[in-house]
Amino acid sequence: MATLPKRIIKETERLVSDPVPGITASPSDDNLRYFEVTIDGPSLSPYANGKFQLELYLPDEYPMCAPKVRFLTKIYHPNIDKLGRICLDVLKDNWSPALQIRTILLSIQALLGAPNPDDPLANDVAQEWKQDEQKAISVAKEWTEKYAVSKD
Amino acid sequence: MGNVPTKESRSRSSTFSSNSGIQPPSNGDMTGFITRTSVPRRYATSSAMNQSNSNNNLGGLLSNNTSSLLDFKKSKRQEEKDRIQELHYLNLLVKYNENVDGGYLAPFGTYKSNLDFNTDIVRKLIINRELSPFYTPLQDFDESWSENELLIILNQLPLHAIDIAYSDLEENLEDDIDNHKIHKSANYYKRQEQKLKLKNLLIKIKNLQKDEELKFMIEKEKAKSSDNTNVEISSNDLLLALYQNPLECPICFLYYPANLNISRCCLQPICTECFVQIKRLDPHPPHDETSNNQNNADKKFLPHTLISEAASCPYCASPEFGVTYDTPDNIFTGIGSNVKPGDYKIVKDNEFDDEDVDEEEEEDDREEDVLDDEEAVITSSDSASSSPLKSNPEPESITKQSSSIISITKRRRRRSSLAANAPGVITIDMIRPDWEQRLTSARNKLERKAATATAIHASNLLLNGDEDSSRSRSNSNIMMTNSNRNSANSHLVQLQTVEDRMIEEALRLSIIDEEERKKKVEAEEEAKSKK
Repeated sequence: MATLPKRIIKETERLVSDPVPGITASPSDDNLRYFEVTIDGPSLSPYANGKFQLELYLPDEYPMCAPKVRFLTKIYHPNIDKLGRICLDVLKDNWSPALQIRTILLSIQALLGAPNPDDPLANDVAQEWKQDEQKAISVAKEWTEKYAVSKD
Repeated sequence: MGNVPTKESRSRSSTFSSNSGIQPPSNGDMTGFITRTSVPRRYATSSAMNQSNSNNNLGGLLSNNTSSLLDFKKSKRQEEKDRIQELHYLNLLVKYNENVDGGYLAPFGTYKSNLDFNTDIVRKLIINRELSPFYTPLQDFDESWSENELLIILNQLPLHAIDIAYSDLEENLEDDIDNHKIHKSANYYKRQEQKLKLKNLLIKIKNLQKDEELKFMIEKEKAKSSDNTNVEISSNDLLLALYQNPLECPICFLYYPANLNISRCCLQPICTECFVQIKRLDPHPPHDETSNNQNNADKKFLPHTLISEAASCPYCASPEFGVTYDTPDNIFTGIGSNVKPGDYKIVKDNEFDDEDVDEEEEEDDREEDVLDDEEAVITSSDSASSSPLKSNPEPESITKQSSSIISITKRRRRRSSLAANAPGVITIDMIRPDWEQRLTSARNKLERKAATATAIHASNLLLNGDEDSSRSRSNSNIMMTNSNRNSANSHLVQLQTVEDRMIEEALRLSIIDEEERKKKVEAEEEAKSKK
């Protein structure tokens, strides 16, 4: 495996030494570009109390292109589809090399707190979200309870 | 539009000709292939195809000539391209004797891709002190390091991160979308050839960089053991002046001398190596156009709607990212200066005249600044070959340190954000001036694609409505059409026909490619035997 760029090493170190509250990210042992991530659902959102698993991969061109992030835990959200893919501008064209793993995960956490059904990825969810927001929120809560809250 | 059946029958006949013959097809067929290749074949509309088809048997000789002329022109163009590519990579070599203010004209090698910036322009900008030179980065920095410790680390720095930058030289060659195909297209062979060429070039460049590194090491060793110092190797004074208060580039997290480029909008630092990485996104349709329905989006896709926007600032997202650069107050060595980096001695503060500093910072009249600055440094560097270690270290360096910090903050405060077209601002488009060309070619490509799609679409419609044409097709198809003609299920037939046609087209293309390849091999053998 090619040597890891200093930036990735330093980011990893800083994630460990100065963790973000409500977010964990730890590199996998066999590939230091692959991170196992958990994000706590923001309180006051339908995802509160949930602990969502994600995977994050830093492509070769990182930081010149965005990390690849995906939800592993099922989630009911207009901007996250069945496969866990996330519709977020900073993960796409609005990526900037000045952003970091830390900031991108914070953005995702913020997205949980502020769903945007007008720019949907999961069309059916967005539709339901727009038609009956209260019902959608209760479904989101249900899913959170079912998939993202540890049973013990 | 009546040409479609003709095209159909032709492509069939060529299918047969190669099916029946393992040996190369007859002459008539050959010229047919050549004529077809001499039109931009892949994107030719069906009418163009038809034309070339009607010329098929008439103009064999003529088409032979034109195609060889085209080949000649093509190879000329290719040679020119290869030459430019080689120059580009040669320009990416870090050479210790090409230095500006203790930095170099080529990147250290932190990034291995995206090196397609215009190297000539960047070299000029660095020599003119309009962009910070490519400094060798420090991987780590600790304020508690003593000067001696820092110097030991600095003296061990290589010119280039060869191992990182060329790490995937071994892979990638086999990586191709066509790899799984049994019959590979001519384009595949062309791509492979190009890749091989590039790989060989990169190996050559890597070796050249290794040689350069070795020379650099030897010269440094020499300098340690004797007074016979090489003036092109930065003196310890210069190294300390540069690296004693390094800044961390917020993008690569590496430490650089504090004279980094500063973003025009939000005054954030960025090293030159990261700056040259930032470029426009590939041409793409505007965001409002992208609808969720893929088909819908495709139809709306008009070529001229492709856009390309100047990259935004990575820090504050202002559009049209650009930077400015202020030369360090007291360092002026290497290209464009009379002072060699090996002769540089730290200037005592009281020898430094405030006026010089001020003038130096002016963006215009750089030439004049250069002269003033030179004098300031030369006066203090008369005893060039003296000890490599600093003679009177502590107190002086501390005052210098603090003064340089002050001058940095002073300078930052002095400047407010600037417009993208303000003098002295270097934008990312300036170092990649070919963006417009890229946009045009992307648009052309899309236009050709659209034309092909329209042609296929139109011919399908025609086939659908025209029973005659389907009758001339394979028997099984006629059976299908007949039996289903009155049934409501004509949609299925349509699908079947489309699929058949696609298979035929694929067959035809692969045969043409195979012929091309054979022709090429023959030509090569001929050339060899001539030699």
